Parts: sequence; structure tokens; C-alpha cells
Amino acid sequence: MATAMAMVLLGMGAISTSKNLLKTVMSFQVVVFGANLALFASGLSGQSGLVSGSLVFFSIAVGASVESVGLAIVVTVFRKYGTLNPSEIRKLRR
Amino acid sequence: MQADVAPLASAALLGTAVAALYSRRVSVSLIMLFYSSLVLGLIFTVYGSILIGLLEIVTFAGAVSVMLLTAVLMTGESDLKMGVGAARASLVGAAVVAAIAASSLVFGQVPGGGATAEGLSPTSVIQFIWLYRPWDLLILLMVFASSMVVVVNLFSREGE
Repeated sequence: MATAMAMVLLGMGAISTSKNLLKTVMSFQVVVFGANLALFASGLSGQSGLVSGSLVFFSIAVGASVESVGLAIVVTVFRKYGTLNPSEIRKLRR
Repeated sequence: MQADVAPLASAALLGTAVAALYSRRVSVSLIMLFYSSLVLGLIFTVYGSILIGLLEIVTFAGAVSVMLLTAVLMTGESDLKMGVGAARASLVGAAVVAAIAASSLVFGQVPGGGATAEGLSPTSVIQFIWLYRPWDLLILLMVFASSMVVVVNLFSREGE
């Protein structure tokens, strides 16, 4: 559980401080890893192992889908603005 | 065995996650994220959920890593410039890991302790996979991971 919480916090911190959209997507993946680990660990301690396993299954599927959409957006943004730095993209929009 | 694996796996997971998030080079981050997903799948496998562990590995270490690599190459963020020395080192590392994997298949025991298992024929790879031995799965995953590093080095543009 502690490892899962640490991974979620690390990922969220990296998302907020990232200067590269690809790194942001990678940070989101780390958050998903932490969430999956937390769900799995909660099922180990209690009697709801089947439920936690099902939730991990869905989390993996949803996480992969969200990442694929995020990567598509990143590629589209790069093609339009030519950069992956969020600060520069904000400047180019004005 | 689960109590022995937990601290090491947690440390490996956190270490690879930190390396993936805070590395300057996007290619190194990608490889560390790949290792991180392998370790997480291993944790799921060791604690009894083989299906979830394999699904985790197939989805994140397989599909999502390939998608990330494609996005990295499309956006031109890839900096696969590794020197000749690093390429040789990765080949040597892959050879060492392959030797360890081969020895575990031949002798049926992980060097340095761990779960012993029945002896297997080196040629029956399918039997090895279906006779689920967590430490051997770890070694197999390490072989795959080192193979990925070797492939990255082989496709590097400089350092030839």
C-alpha cells in the first residue's frame, strides 16, 4: 500500500511539473500503476480478492485506453505547434 | 517467498518509476517505464494473480510501450545516441542474462536461492511457461527487457 501511495504521489507530482507532454503521459502511467497496486493490495488483506481482481482488470483496460487517447492528442499537438512544451504551446496559442 | 520478494519488488518498482519520471532522456524514461511495468506484473504474479500479472505485462509492457515508442519517434524526441561502449555493454548484459536463464532452465533452480522447481527439459519452452514458476518468469522478463535495450542500441544512429 505504501509503495502504491508513493507511486501515485510521484506520478501526480511529475504531471504537475513536467515540461514535456510525453513525460506527462508517462507520469499518468505511473499513477495508473500505483492505483492498480493499491487495488490489488486491498484485495490481499480482505476477503474481496475477486472484486479487487476485477477492478484491477478494468483499471488496466481503462488506463491503456486513456493513454492511447492521450498519445494521439500529443502527436496531434506536436504536428500543429511543433513543440511538446506546454509553456511554449500556451505562448503560440496567443 | 512472498515476504522475501516484497521489499525487493517494491524497491525495484519505485526505483524504475523514479528513473522513468525524472530522467532527462525520453528514451531512457521509456525503457525504465517498460521495466516498471514488468516488475508490477511480476508482483501480481508472485502474489497469486497470474492472469492479472500477464494482462499487466501484455498491456503496458507490450501495447502501451510500443505506442509510447511510436509517439516518441513521431515527435522526434528520440535520442537513441548511445556510444559503441554502451552498445557492447548492453550486448554483454543480454548475454549474461540469457546464460542465467539457460542455467535456470537446465538445472531447475534460481542461483542464490528462491523457489526450487522440478527439472525441465531445456527444449520444452511451452511446458516451462505453463508450469508457472515465479522466479523463472522473472528471469524470462529480464531477458525480454535486456533484448529491448539491445534492439534500441542496434537502431541507434550514432556511435557506429
